[in-house]
Amino acid sequence: MTGKVTVTLKVNGRTYSADCEPRKTLADFLRQDLGFTGVHLGCEHGVCGACTVSIDGSTARSCCMLAVQAEGTEITTVEGLASDGNLHPLQEAFWKHHGLQCGFCTPGMLATACELLEDNPDPSEDEIREGISGNLCRCTGYQFIVDSIHDAARQLRSTS
Amino acid sequence: MERRDRTFVALARPRGRPGQTKREDTLVEQNTHDGLIGARVRRKEDLRLLTGRTQFVDDVALSGMLEAAVLRSPVPHARILSIDASEALEHPGVYAVVTGAEVKAAVSAPQPVIWRMIPDQLIPDGYPLAVDKVRYVGQGVAAVAAKDRATAEDALELIDVEYEELPPVATLEDALAEDAPKLYEDWPSNVSGSTTIPKGDVATAFADADVVVSETFRFARQMGTPLETRGVVATWDPYTDQLDMWLSTQSPNLARDLLGEVLGISVDKIRVRTPDVGGGFGNKFDFYGEEIVAAILSRRTGRSVKLIEDRMESFVANAHSREQKIDVELAATSDGTITGLKATVYAVLGGQLGTVGIGPCWTTAALMTGPYDIANVELSVVGVMTNRSPYGSYRGWGQPKSNFVHERMVELLAQRIGMDAQDVRLKNFVPPDAFPYGSPVFFYDSGRYADCLDLCRKSVEQAGWLERRDKARADGTAVGIGYSFHVEITAFGPSRILNMAGLQHSGFDEEVVRIDSTGRVTVYTGQSAMGQGVQTALAQVAAQSLGVALDDVTVVVGDTDTCPYTGYGTGASRAAAVGGGAVLTAATRLKEKVLRIAGQVLEASPEDLVVEDGRVSVAGAPDKSISMAEIGDASYRRMNGLLPESESPTLEEREVFDPANVAFSYGCTAVLTEVDTETGEVRLLDYLIAHDCGTVINPLIVDGQLHGGAAQAIGGALYEELVYGDDGQIQTTTFMDYLIPTASEIPPFKLEHMATVADHIPGGFKGMGEGGTIGGGAAITHAVEDALSDYGVSITSLPITPPRLLAAMRAGKDNR
Repeated sequence: MTGKVTVTLKVNGRTYSADCEPRKTLADFLRQDLGFTGVHLGCEHGVCGACTVSIDGSTARSCCMLAVQAEGTEITTVEGLASDGNLHPLQEAFWKHHGLQCGFCTPGMLATACELLEDNPDPSEDEIREGISGNLCRCTGYQFIVDSIHDAARQLRSTS
Repeated sequence: MERRDRTFVALARPRGRPGQTKREDTLVEQNTHDGLIGARVRRKEDLRLLTGRTQFVDDVALSGMLEAAVLRSPVPHARILSIDASEALEHPGVYAVVTGAEVKAAVSAPQPVIWRMIPDQLIPDGYPLAVDKVRYVGQGVAAVAAKDRATAEDALELIDVEYEELPPVATLEDALAEDAPKLYEDWPSNVSGSTTIPKGDVATAFADADVVVSETFRFARQMGTPLETRGVVATWDPYTDQLDMWLSTQSPNLARDLLGEVLGISVDKIRVRTPDVGGGFGNKFDFYGEEIVAAILSRRTGRSVKLIEDRMESFVANAHSREQKIDVELAATSDGTITGLKATVYAVLGGQLGTVGIGPCWTTAALMTGPYDIANVELSVVGVMTNRSPYGSYRGWGQPKSNFVHERMVELLAQRIGMDAQDVRLKNFVPPDAFPYGSPVFFYDSGRYADCLDLCRKSVEQAGWLERRDKARADGTAVGIGYSFHVEITAFGPSRILNMAGLQHSGFDEEVVRIDSTGRVTVYTGQSAMGQGVQTALAQVAAQSLGVALDDVTVVVGDTDTCPYTGYGTGASRAAAVGGGAVLTAATRLKEKVLRIAGQVLEASPEDLVVEDGRVSVAGAPDKSISMAEIGDASYRRMNGLLPESESPTLEEREVFDPANVAFSYGCTAVLTEVDTETGEVRLLDYLIAHDCGTVINPLIVDGQLHGGAAQAIGGALYEELVYGDDGQIQTTTFMDYLIPTASEIPPFKLEHMATVADHIPGGFKGMGEGGTIGGGAAITHAVEDALSDYGVSITSLPITPPRLLAAMRAGKDNR
């Protein structure tokens, strides 16, 4: 593997350009070349959801995409969720309700929950469970994640 | 190989409690809290984790660092005839290749097996990579260090290994067959060893029994599966011999000692640091060959070497657990009194013994009586080698199987004699006045089992489960309720007693509490953080003990150079109990010094002082006070006239706590389930645990541990199975095959708490990291059997997959 390609994309509002092998996944590119180590790799075959990021407004598994496929896109990672030192309401709710333990699934879980609440600002418990069923958590048993998302939805509705 | 002659020593009654039989103070309720111990505070760990500002082991990047990959055996049983790595070595970007024989030549000792509880057990010398022979699919045979992981993986494909395949020993039955191929040719068979735990007179109990119930249970292979796989970054300086390891481990002090043993260097040369750890569940307690391989590759190349296990590798390289077959016989009188228990636990070990050897399977036998007072037992364990991955630690450590056995046997006995299973439980529980209670091996410290069962049943009634079941059944839906009762060994443990049981390590804990020159507090702990919230829990204990705010306490973990030593590691539900107990004692002693200093400054007797929110004041005269910051300054910097002549500078206390005994938490689990009688699919509707772990430090953390443990019990009961074919090939190597439950499979959880303190642990903490995992399987099984009561289903193996349940339904109908 020799020939490298240049990939240019925007992450958390800033434009980056870097050379990488065409076989490099987007997850590895974000982690290794751009330093966004909040992107976590739990399986590298698209099941666990820990590597989930937002690409042009939709969630995607960055382990199942090549970096070259992300050329020209706008990506949000967990590092870009809080702004100006203020936590996103989902982050606040996860903190308050103990929606995380080891924190390895958390970046992907937050990305999925963000999209869920954009699509459905007032989800039922069953809808939350279904909405996050593509993200594995091995620590929490999900109860407090569900509670966190529920509370964040309430917060977001009351402020919008 | 090693043969040992050591008689098993039944564990003695803990010292320091002479003649104690009944202690009213073990029954003290601690349900009200006015301080930080017991407060539902949010965790100190979370801000970094929520904002992506963490450093897991794969995020560690050192200058000049190489990345490694391991070549793994594609066959279960074979002789290695030759390994040709010349082409790999020529590959651009490759720095080093090592084979099993080269690694063996570079180490001083085989991989340690620290749990040796069976006298005369045959313990084969295992090395980090296979030497001469491979004994399971996925066993490492060679490793490459290259400029990056992709290049290392490319180079693996260029290594040519010639195998002479041998017939595989794929199953327990294969291994025990008369003409079975032998994994270790100089052994008489594939049996590594066996031992029996006796108590009372079993022969008479069975001869006199009104009823004898017999059954055989089987448990599938499963694994802890932390979402972050294991990993290491090793830097072994070839000139100074200094070894610096970043390791995703639950046991940094143990790892440091074992690195020293295997590599033949003194531990002063070794530093183990743990970055953020993405879940452990026991899997990261064990000490793996990859740690050694990375160190040797580093020394060879003179560079740092990172070796991260990928997920597919993890299914063969990470410790496997749970797989056992258990034959059980229970003797009882017609009134439901259990008089005898006989069992043989067949431990389906892998091709090599892991760090904990046969430990978890021995624990299955040792704790098989659970919460019941059974006078006569004969509990055996037989360790059998197979061509499967090595057996190791996973949350529960043998106890989920003990629990399944005693709870299933209680239900079977109840059915046989026409008694309510709850009445059988109540009849046989160790009563509150019998503590400390001598079970076949361990002493149980305290408990109110009947109260806990009652709490659970009342909560089930209040939640309306009985009505839900009745209504569903009237509608033709198969809905059932099931219970189980569990005990959980915690506060591991008294060092000398653990040594007597066969542990080649200790169980004490050491904690350092320091107040700095600004009056802020730092706790240095040897306990490991892996997501369980140990920093917050220890901070709460220190803050309350010293009288400072939680935000003023920092807990430092994960560095053998700066943190004190803890025996064992962070596992066996010990951090809150032994760590919390030691922090409490150290902080209390430190507070005495603070009061002596404040007493001099305020011209008051220390007994008349109170500390609140970081300020020491004279009781009843709040304006006469001094802040912790001023005391800190006087202890480190400007001491003249403030720090008493009799006091040495600095504010620091160190406490070593070796508990007199382990502790036992316990709980009652209830499950409401629905079964699709067409497909055999089990759906959990509701889940309830009544629980007692002594003094609770943080209810939020305890609840989270119970939820997470229960989710793993649910996975183990219904979904998870590492499947091997008859050819010895593993067939579950992705998350598409090995089914970790998602939020859609996990029901809502409801919890009830009671608190019976451990009076031998400062603070009364018991620990509870594994409780949720232990009792789930039996409760789910009983709920399924209740839902299918029309079918006469008897479930004797886990997981309860739809095809197995449909088969059990057919068998049940045939039996009627």
